[in-house]
Amino acid sequence: MKGWHVATIVALIGIIGLFYAGLGRDPRSIPSVLVGTEAPSFTGPDVQTGETLSLDAYKGKVIVLNFWASWCQECRLEHQNLLSLNGQFRNHPDFVMLGIDYQDQPGDAIDFLNTFGSTYPHVRDVKGTIAIDYGVYGVPETFVIDKHGIIRFKYVGPVIGPVYSHITDQIIRPLLEGKELKQS
Amino acid sequence: MIIELGYFAVITALMVSIAGILAPVIGLKTGNHGWIRAGRQAVTVNFILLSLGCGALIYSFLSRDFSVKYVVMNSNSRLPVFYTISALWGGHEGSLLFWAWILAAFAALAAWIHWKTHPAAMPYLLIIESSLTSGFLALIIFLSSPFERIFPAAAEGMDLNPLLQDPGMVFHPPFLYLGYVGFSIPFSFAMAALLSGRLGEEWIRATHRWTLFSWIMLTAGILMGAYWAYYELGWGGYWAWDPVENASFMPWLVGTAFLHSVMVQEKRKMFKVWNLFLIIVTFSLSLLGTFLVRSGILSSVHAFANDPGRGVYILIFMSVVLIFSFGTLVIRSNRLKDRIEMESMVSRESAFLFNNMFFLIATATVFLGTLYPLLVDTLYGTKVTVGAPYYNKVFLPIVLVILILMGIAPMIAWRKSSRDNIRKNFLIPAVVAVAGTVISAILGIRQVYPLAAAAIVYFVAATIITDMYKNSSYWASHSGTTLLKGFFKAWYHNQRRYGGLLTHVGVLVLILGIIGSSSYKLEKTLILKPGDEFTLGHYSYKFHGLQDVQGINWMGVEALFNVYKGNQFVAEMRPQKRFYSGGSQMPTTEAAIQPRHMGDLYLSMTDITQEGWITVMAFQNPLIHWIWYGGGIMGIGVILILFKRKRREL
Repeated sequence: MKGWHVATIVALIGIIGLFYAGLGRDPRSIPSVLVGTEAPSFTGPDVQTGETLSLDAYKGKVIVLNFWASWCQECRLEHQNLLSLNGQFRNHPDFVMLGIDYQDQPGDAIDFLNTFGSTYPHVRDVKGTIAIDYGVYGVPETFVIDKHGIIRFKYVGPVIGPVYSHITDQIIRPLLEGKELKQS
Repeated sequence: MIIELGYFAVITALMVSIAGILAPVIGLKTGNHGWIRAGRQAVTVNFILLSLGCGALIYSFLSRDFSVKYVVMNSNSRLPVFYTISALWGGHEGSLLFWAWILAAFAALAAWIHWKTHPAAMPYLLIIESSLTSGFLALIIFLSSPFERIFPAAAEGMDLNPLLQDPGMVFHPPFLYLGYVGFSIPFSFAMAALLSGRLGEEWIRATHRWTLFSWIMLTAGILMGAYWAYYELGWGGYWAWDPVENASFMPWLVGTAFLHSVMVQEKRKMFKVWNLFLIIVTFSLSLLGTFLVRSGILSSVHAFANDPGRGVYILIFMSVVLIFSFGTLVIRSNRLKDRIEMESMVSRESAFLFNNMFFLIATATVFLGTLYPLLVDTLYGTKVTVGAPYYNKVFLPIVLVILILMGIAPMIAWRKSSRDNIRKNFLIPAVVAVAGTVISAILGIRQVYPLAAAAIVYFVAATIITDMYKNSSYWASHSGTTLLKGFFKAWYHNQRRYGGLLTHVGVLVLILGIIGSSSYKLEKTLILKPGDEFTLGHYSYKFHGLQDVQGINWMGVEALFNVYKGNQFVAEMRPQKRFYSGGSQMPTTEAAIQPRHMGDLYLSMTDITQEGWITVMAFQNPLIHWIWYGGGIMGIGVILILFKRKRREL
């Protein structure tokens, strides 16, 4: 065995091992620096009625923010789940849910809501600034804000399957009951 | 029905390719030539079967058969025919099938071309090509079949990803694949040489054209991808050091090293193990590229599906190829000793050695930068990205050294170069380089890299021109004709050398394009309302307003800009935002590009608000066209080498 033989073999094993270890990971999941910080406030027109909505109006409540768009396929996928999530908590006095319509044509957004249904208000992100404030780089993205106005949870991608129960049971319910969140 | 025929053809192809591995093995064991012939039939039949498979998929696309899942996912009835055909390689499953088809085509071609000339290598070549084919076919059939149907059939397809609905994207993947897969032939010949023990220069000579062909295809593929990124993605650049870009760049770098070092073996019978090592690394990096793209292991604009199942399979496949090929090299390399020692450090072979070293260092820096985020994530669970600043710091100096060597190596003698020889060849270029650099500095180039690059470009260009002049005048006086006729004579007698030098000229032009467009780029991001004006460089842009536009399968909005230089009207520019039908896609950005003195004025509209305000990124990219002109010149250079007449060169 010469030196370069050993080097070649070690390099091969190292690279293959690294790839194997890396395979199960999701390279896109990036921990958000926003979690734990105060939720940026915003105002904007309601998609359906046009009247001005403001985040500040909901201070002291647990707020679920969902960024979506009518052209987004994954948003269709999660839409029924969002409706049932709202249905599950809407009677709680401290719960509120808001949709944020991102990079969309108003007509398309209204058609989308008429087709798939809507039980909570949606704000049009007119200049795209709300999305920038929340560091949104694609839709859907979902945030949960606690009663003190602090962002406690962020999820990129559709709220489906285990994500749904995680948000309802591990995030929203404890926050409504004033409990601490388990570190996940 | 047709799609099932295609599926059946591909399944049969897998069985045939396994037979194609076994038959030559038996042939080698028994010495019965008929078995090896059967191996050749297998690769030939495989090519026909995979053509049927691809044909069936194309047929399903064209007949808008929305019961086929792959057709549903990657087309719809409004998709133009041109893109409907190219949708074959628009998604993961289809592009694998297309890849396998190219592999089968090359295997069959190589088997027929080299059948008579390289009988000893043939069985090994067949075994390796059939093994590679069967590996890809098994992946297609078991884990990513494009032939799946859905019940009930969809009424309409989703759409081909709008970003791929572009001529640049139609050609970019096939050229890359031709490059990647093309390297499998030199790789197979190298393995044949190792396994058969015929370790002379035979395999190098046999694969000379294959290597050049693959290399220029890869070059073209990369440059087309860069061009597409430039005008389609709308961020004003063409290269982002994205992991998948790097994945195509790494085999290119090592392939380039290989291309040069084989010359040393041809002329001086040196670097034997080294050349085998290089071609194995080149092909391994081609496979690595496939793995990175298809497993979704790295975050990239290209990695579409994050599918650990496929990832594990490709990893196993790649590991088998890596372990087998490097293992064989390690075991067999003891038989290979260069009997000839290097005579002098000042010789062409040592210049080539340095060239190779720097190409490998360059590859290693790209490799590290690409995998570092994965390494950190795996070890520490922390997310990092490695971007342009790292590469600019580490990669650029290496490139400059390679460029200097590009000027020196072709001009110094084999074996040993005398002082006299060096003075004769490099005095004028050195003077030109110094003078040119001073003039450039006076003219206003003050940044370090552009100035260094300019110096090197002057130097290399001067070496090439003086060399051509000397040879031309030699041939002119030799046959008593004019200098121009002498030039053509010199070319005629030395087409390989001159083709190579022309390729180097292409590289210089490309480098100038890169330097000009990156060091002297101007950019601005603005929010504008109709009537607003802004200036960038010497040009002023006036935004007049928005209007609707419509294509066959998209609707869009475009912004109208008038561009002026002083008071003089230059052009109208219309950046667009397009919404493709199918309704499932992000709006795309179509940049408006106005060529101007071999550079571009470039406008990209990133956002439109309801009130008619727009967000615009404006760029001025000087000399950027030179990147692609350079690529074109490199292409011509390589074609001249590929089609040189077979005769002994002086």
